[in-house]
Amino acid sequence: MMSQASNSTWKRDAAIAAIILVVLVSLPFVTSKGIVFIAGTLALHVVFGLSWNLMFGQTGLVSFGHASFFAIGGYAFAWAAKIAPGIHPLLLFAGAGLFGSLVALIVGILALRRSIGVYFAILTLALSQIVYLLLSYIPALGREDGFTGIRRPRLSLGFTTIDLASGNNYYYFMIAMCTLLAVGLWWVMHGRMGRVFKSIQQDAERAAFLGIDVQAYRLRSFAIASGTTAIAGALYAPWLQLLTPEIAHWTFSARPILYTLLGGVQSFWGPVVGAVVFAVLEYGTRTLHGLSEIIIGSILLVVVLAFPGGLLGGLSRLRKRMNRKTIVTARPEIVR
Amino acid sequence: MLALFLGPLFNGLFTAMVVFLFATGLTLVFGILRILNFAHGGFFMIGAYLAFSLVKTFASDTSTIAYILISIVAGIVVGLCGLVVERLVFRPLQHVDEAYSLIATYALLLISEGAVKAIWGVSFHSIMTPAALGGALIAGDLVMPVFAIFIIGLGVLCYSLLEWILQHTATGKLMKSVASDPWMAGMLGVNVPRFYAWIVVIGFFLAGLAGGLLLPNQTLSPNLASVFVVQAFGVLIVGGMGNIRGTFLASILLCVIDSYGSVIFSEVPGVFFYVAMAAMLLMRPQGLIAGARL
Repeated sequence: MMSQASNSTWKRDAAIAAIILVVLVSLPFVTSKGIVFIAGTLALHVVFGLSWNLMFGQTGLVSFGHASFFAIGGYAFAWAAKIAPGIHPLLLFAGAGLFGSLVALIVGILALRRSIGVYFAILTLALSQIVYLLLSYIPALGREDGFTGIRRPRLSLGFTTIDLASGNNYYYFMIAMCTLLAVGLWWVMHGRMGRVFKSIQQDAERAAFLGIDVQAYRLRSFAIASGTTAIAGALYAPWLQLLTPEIAHWTFSARPILYTLLGGVQSFWGPVVGAVVFAVLEYGTRTLHGLSEIIIGSILLVVVLAFPGGLLGGLSRLRKRMNRKTIVTARPEIVR
Repeated sequence: MLALFLGPLFNGLFTAMVVFLFATGLTLVFGILRILNFAHGGFFMIGAYLAFSLVKTFASDTSTIAYILISIVAGIVVGLCGLVVERLVFRPLQHVDEAYSLIATYALLLISEGAVKAIWGVSFHSIMTPAALGGALIAGDLVMPVFAIFIIGLGVLCYSLLEWILQHTATGKLMKSVASDPWMAGMLGVNVPRFYAWIVVIGFFLAGLAGGLLLPNQTLSPNLASVFVVQAFGVLIVGGMGNIRGTFLASILLCVIDSYGSVIFSEVPGVFFYVAMAAMLLMRPQGLIAGARL
């Protein structure tokens, strides 16, 4: 029964992912460069949102400083690529992710020991402000002007070498990497570790009573999510070819929170839906000064007040209500 | 010599009172309604912009009395905004999860930023300090701007007033009782929803008032909304989850530490506020003043 259920989720999610991938891969053939750029950035934001929801929806940790790990990954990649251009780019991406995880581990060992809930949120907020300020002061990282001149690397795969700087190569590379990261997150969420996370989210005290080392698992969740985001940040650096401290600002940390709550916390696809809706809103209102914020803000407000489970939560509630109606109408037939 | 040792203290106290004046309304709303209001910065900014427009229209001579009156008017207008926000947003939020109230107030912050951009544009504005508050007092080699002294006095006055209301008046005792147990207060005949509405209006009034009063110290731009919010959240939490005394003490502690830190490590100004904040949260997760509500 249990394996059957997860089997069908697996098939459904794979089908949805396949459709999204087909759309993303065919985009460069059918639309303009601007849209392709937005889609590539959106893919990174999706990973950003999904990894945040691993902490929040799955483990019950509210981080307000997720953007700092995005920035740490991006800057680590850019800096390492500059001082050691010989290193294989895949190693650099992995290194950036590991570095992000390491920072998360150090922070987490201190922060998760005593503080949880709103304290953890504010503590991660303080951390992200420190990262933001340091990035805008360190001369080697370009200060407030940002880290400029980040090149898209050449990717040697043994049998062939792909120049990521030419054409849409980097876009495809990024889509492939984001898919890998998203699959990795899906696998973590639906595996044994994910179920342990979920038990902690639902009742940490009871989980501890069952012999789960709550703190160690919270730390794992935090490190995995931060490492994944750091890789997304590292992918972002050559994509934009410029990094500014703004990507560590707390308003950017608010993004994955918005995506997740807008789309729906309970579903894997919630942050994806949220990020897409947000990107569409932003693109649609980009020329309206001031009105853009008013429209985005109002829609967020309406969603939060009218569908507390996010868009997907609202949808599933609607479907349940429809199902109930069909059952009610079906009953007389059974009686007869 | 004086400037070396007392200069940072003076500057620290000044920023502390700026942060405290910003955070009073936030503390009040969080202490009683348990809503961490991101939009506080947005309405602070609206207060500042309103005061700016009023100064430009009515008071070109920038007299101190006009400046204070205009700040109060800005506060009242923002307070009325608070009435609408309470009705449309905060009241429905009482029944949903805390995380959602955060996102709702963030949405409000976006809306207020958008409103400011649409009404006042994106260019930078500033006004002169009122004539009587210009200049500086000089003690030895320590230079103290009169405006900074005025703000420090204002911060202390504001704190004393709120503390007196909370500890020694019937209204204050009512506020504390609703904060600690709204259900019980309701059973005893307090009209809790109306009480909440009043608190939000007062909290927003304080935001708008602070916006007006701190205007001569600020450069007006739509970024103003997010400048103080994080620092204010910091002092709120370090102080002990929404009590005025804790917020006051935490503002002084963090800002003075930051001020000395910025003098000693001049390459990284501003970082020590957050370092001290993180350290305080790790050492005293319950806050400076634990257990007290308001």
